[in-house]
Amino acid sequence: MMRSNARLPGHGGSGYRGDQDVEGPGAPRRVSGRQARVPAPHCAALTVLVLALLGCGRTAENTKNVAKQPVIGVSMMNLSNEFIVMLNREMEARAKQLGVRLIVNDAERSAEKQIQQVESFAAQRVDAIILNPCEVEASSPAVDRALADGIPIVNVNSETRSAPSAFVGSHDEEAARIAIEYIAKRLGGKGNLVMMHGFMGQAAQIKRDRGAREALRKYPGLILIADQTAEWDRAKAMTLMENWIQSYGEKINAVFAQNDEMAMGALMAIEQAKLRDKIVTVGVDSIADALEAVKAGRLDATVFQDARGQAAAAVETAVKLIHKQPVDREVYIPFQLVTKENVARYLK
Amino acid sequence: MTEAPVLGMGLGMPSRLRRLGPRVGLAAALVLLFAALSLARPNFLTVANLINLVRQISINGILAVGVTFVLLTGGVDLSLGSLVALTGVAAASFAHPGQFPVIVPVAIGILAGAACGVLNGVVVTRGRVAPFIATLGMMTAARGLALLISEGKPVSNLRGSFTVIGSGQVWGVPVPVLVLCLVALAASVVLRKFRMGRYLYAVGGNQSAARASGVRVNRVKMFAYTLCGALAGLAGVVLAARITTGQPNAGAGYELDAIAAAVIGGTSLSGGTGGAGGTVLGALLMGVINNGLDLLNVPSYYQQIVKGVIIVGAVWMDRSRQNK
Repeated sequence: MMRSNARLPGHGGSGYRGDQDVEGPGAPRRVSGRQARVPAPHCAALTVLVLALLGCGRTAENTKNVAKQPVIGVSMMNLSNEFIVMLNREMEARAKQLGVRLIVNDAERSAEKQIQQVESFAAQRVDAIILNPCEVEASSPAVDRALADGIPIVNVNSETRSAPSAFVGSHDEEAARIAIEYIAKRLGGKGNLVMMHGFMGQAAQIKRDRGAREALRKYPGLILIADQTAEWDRAKAMTLMENWIQSYGEKINAVFAQNDEMAMGALMAIEQAKLRDKIVTVGVDSIADALEAVKAGRLDATVFQDARGQAAAAVETAVKLIHKQPVDREVYIPFQLVTKENVARYLK
Repeated sequence: MTEAPVLGMGLGMPSRLRRLGPRVGLAAALVLLFAALSLARPNFLTVANLINLVRQISINGILAVGVTFVLLTGGVDLSLGSLVALTGVAAASFAHPGQFPVIVPVAIGILAGAACGVLNGVVVTRGRVAPFIATLGMMTAARGLALLISEGKPVSNLRGSFTVIGSGQVWGVPVPVLVLCLVALAASVVLRKFRMGRYLYAVGGNQSAARASGVRVNRVKMFAYTLCGALAGLAGVVLAARITTGQPNAGAGYELDAIAAAVIGGTSLSGGTGGAGGTVLGALLMGVINNGLDLLNVPSYYQQIVKGVIIVGAVWMDRSRQNK
């Protein structure tokens, strides 16, 4: 609670980096210094810390001219995830161009935290909210709360059960379908496939699984011989792939990993087993590492999820809603297949 | 150990039998699992898979040996997973091609881990903060620092001489396995042959008695936390080398796996009993379960249930044997 309150005011336009100033070098030093000899040093230290954090925030706000600038509260599902960080950066960039101020909070994968953040946005009377939901069901109360307070809310990247003012994102099923179709093409519609799931039960995992299975139905010659979760994690994916290679060896013709982190992990296991030429590896997301690997001819393909497109559309939609202009209720940003032939376009 | 009769009395000092006990029970569980898996899957008991298996447990093994020292003093270290991420990112940041000799990133990883360990130790001893809370704070802060210095992105493009630590082999033995063996051996020697080792058991067995017999309790605890941090740093380096990136979100939950391995291996959560050998066996058991379930292609949901049951079952089997 202390943390989220403290980080709100000072946030300016600098994105989640604003934290660094608040929690970094400045505040703790004040605590350990003179205050230590007060009778109840712990309480005093804590109080000073809180005041220092609030102080940092307030001065930052005063120095900035925020008089009539519209403010959008943003709750991101997880700023430890590379793709979400990218999405956040692109939102900051677009907001700067449009002259709106973003207050960015990190829900750290917790839907409960996300609801609290939206509640505090509502209390601050922000002009609009952009929500990057953690969970389909559990984040829905956040949407309901914003709408009940008459604050327009835009969901970006993933959905909630409650309908927001507008949704901007991509169909995760489509990403999986594109990947499976690519694999089918490479294998001539015949072969054995293994699939790595993300965190079981998360929306992206469920949808990418569904999309893959729907696509597989079109190719009776493609057999899914094993599927297992590696929890979006590179190290876990490497271990899983090593075990699969032990188990199935050269029977495996292709790997579909539901994200690039796992694809990179699988790729390392495949390369170490010297099976690179025998196994087609495909991921989703187009993170920087994966794009480099596609360029180097190591990874066969990744599916590009357009962070910039989603971020820009979300901010634009929110701004239109603030100005009471008409918007599309659903904006879909298409996925794109990235292979060695077109990878140059995606590398910055 | 025999040369310290004063400390031995009533300090929860493990007799040879009790220290052997867990390993016998555990070894039985391992043999059982091995037999069952070999029957179910012919490719389980192959040299390639066994090497594969030991390589997979190396990171958890290194962490588990480290946390064994802290557990022996009656403490706990929850910051391991975050330290793995932080030290991995720190090491990777200095391991780009043509930057520094490979010893630099390795040293930076280990020293960063040790520094966090020192901080944990200071908060626990000087600040008298409960180890659970002290290291919980470190867990959160270290994760934040890892994200901060990496800007939330994986640190990639690492030089070959660094990634060899994760993927290379020496005489057919993977380097991570070699590292684990050296760590376990050294830890075992410290615990059995060095005075510090005896002090660790003494502090965990009965802190006031240890203090009364002249053991500098705080110094012993500092040693345990620092060593644990340094080993977390080593594990961070090995992981970064293995996955060829420093990942700020790596290592989530590793601390629980490490503590579980130590406890399965006979180290007591309340301190005073346990050892490095048992811990490595514990890590091996967890690795076998993981590897076996993958080979059997058990669906994800069932895997989690089976893992939970086997972990508790192994410890139960072990303890009931001990009580007889």
